[in-house]
Amino acid sequence: MPGKIFRKWDLALIGGVLVLALILLFSFTFAEKGGIAVIEQNGVEWGRYSLLEQQEETILEIGGEYHVRLLLEPGAISFLSSDCPDHTCVRTGKLTQAGQGAVCLPARVSIRILPSPGETQGFDGITG
Amino acid sequence: MKVSFSRWLDNKKTAAVFLVILAILAGVLIWMWSQYGYRENRYEHSSYAMGTLVQQTVYGKDRENTALKAASAVTNLENQISWRVEGSDIARLNDAAGTQWISLEPETISLLDLCLDVAENSQGAFDPTILPISCLWNFDSETPSFPGEELINTYLPYVGYENLRINTEDNTASLRNYYMAVDLGAVGKGAGCDAIVDTYKSSSVSGGIAAVGGSVGIYGQKPDGSLWSIAVRNPYVSQGEDATMGTLDLTGGFISTSGSYEKTFTQDGITYHHLLDPQTGFPADTGLVSVTVVCGGSEPGQGALSDILSTACFVLGEEKGKALLLHYGAEGIFIRTDKTVSVTDGLKDSFHIVSEDFSYAG
Repeated sequence: MPGKIFRKWDLALIGGVLVLALILLFSFTFAEKGGIAVIEQNGVEWGRYSLLEQQEETILEIGGEYHVRLLLEPGAISFLSSDCPDHTCVRTGKLTQAGQGAVCLPARVSIRILPSPGETQGFDGITG
Repeated sequence: MKVSFSRWLDNKKTAAVFLVILAILAGVLIWMWSQYGYRENRYEHSSYAMGTLVQQTVYGKDRENTALKAASAVTNLENQISWRVEGSDIARLNDAAGTQWISLEPETISLLDLCLDVAENSQGAFDPTILPISCLWNFDSETPSFPGEELINTYLPYVGYENLRINTEDNTASLRNYYMAVDLGAVGKGAGCDAIVDTYKSSSVSGGIAAVGGSVGIYGQKPDGSLWSIAVRNPYVSQGEDATMGTLDLTGGFISTSGSYEKTFTQDGITYHHLLDPQTGFPADTGLVSVTVVCGGSEPGQGALSDILSTACFVLGEEKGKALLLHYGAEGIFIRTDKTVSVTDGLKDSFHIVSEDFSYAG
């Protein structure tokens, strides 16, 4: 077929690459939405959990002087209980979006949500 | 191999196919880089100072080093302005109350100067000399309690910003009366944000955001150039509810919030909060649950100013608070106890309520 730049198999090859590229993009876009909860004790990482992969309610016992317990559930994490005097941490509520955070100051335990790969950054900071 | 490859490319048609494939791959790579590439460029750091969590996110060159420097700048500031730290500027000033003028660091003097300015413009709704009363309530301890009306009335006369005098020329200050004492607790977190942003400014980072407790300072730009998004905490949240009531999208500035939900205790069925009215010595009751203030002026100390103004506005109430913000060219979000929200004109486009429990005031 003179005159044509692309032949049938060339087009098939380009199409194949396009499909692969789209699969790659979508796999990144829809991967692990829901953020990653990073738990720190005294400024040192204690653990991290994907909120999307979390299938059931789990109680995380951080322990320490104030016996801090966290509630990990599908798509959310929160302070469940703490023996600290103010309970500000429990009153912070559920964290569901990247950028949200909570802290138990007496126990020096903090949680923050990082964006998962493919998820846009929710919040950059929190006031209040 | 090389020869056969270049011969293969010599064919116009295969070269064109090759180019199209390359273009698709390049497109995908550029898109992925724009979406995720900046993550590589990002450093997060948590530390504790001023009795609270200091959380930084820094972008660009030398970010790790800069974040560590900024964290120690906050600790240094705390050691300079906390009345609890022995030998600090404020501890020395309080110790010398009723005696003589003493020399202080220029930064401490500028902070006191700013405090006095807001104290005057708010007719004492904010008062840096609140310590004789605030330490009766002792909200920062594990066991705060109602001190009783009698004790409050005994110590109330020792609260009075008019009797805190500063000399900005030779950096000296004095408290006129014995028993007087300065507490910069309502300023420290905002001033901590100033210290962090100043550290960013003198470094090679391209952007950063820092939260010292509930105060936030912004510097520069995010790698993707989008606005900085700040979550405003839900004051009425309890275990099991969403933590955010609204969002603020900003190009920069400093943000502080004063809320009656932050430090509380309940005694004999009455709940007391830590935002004390310097005129009465009791927690302020102005129909508000929280005030968020945004300062973006060009003068130094905008972080400290936002912190002071949020406290002053909470104590003044919505109407007088808004007038005070206007005076300083600041903006604010006033959340009332009935869960209606009033926003100053400058934030109408950048603030949005995201929780169904709240609505804009009529």
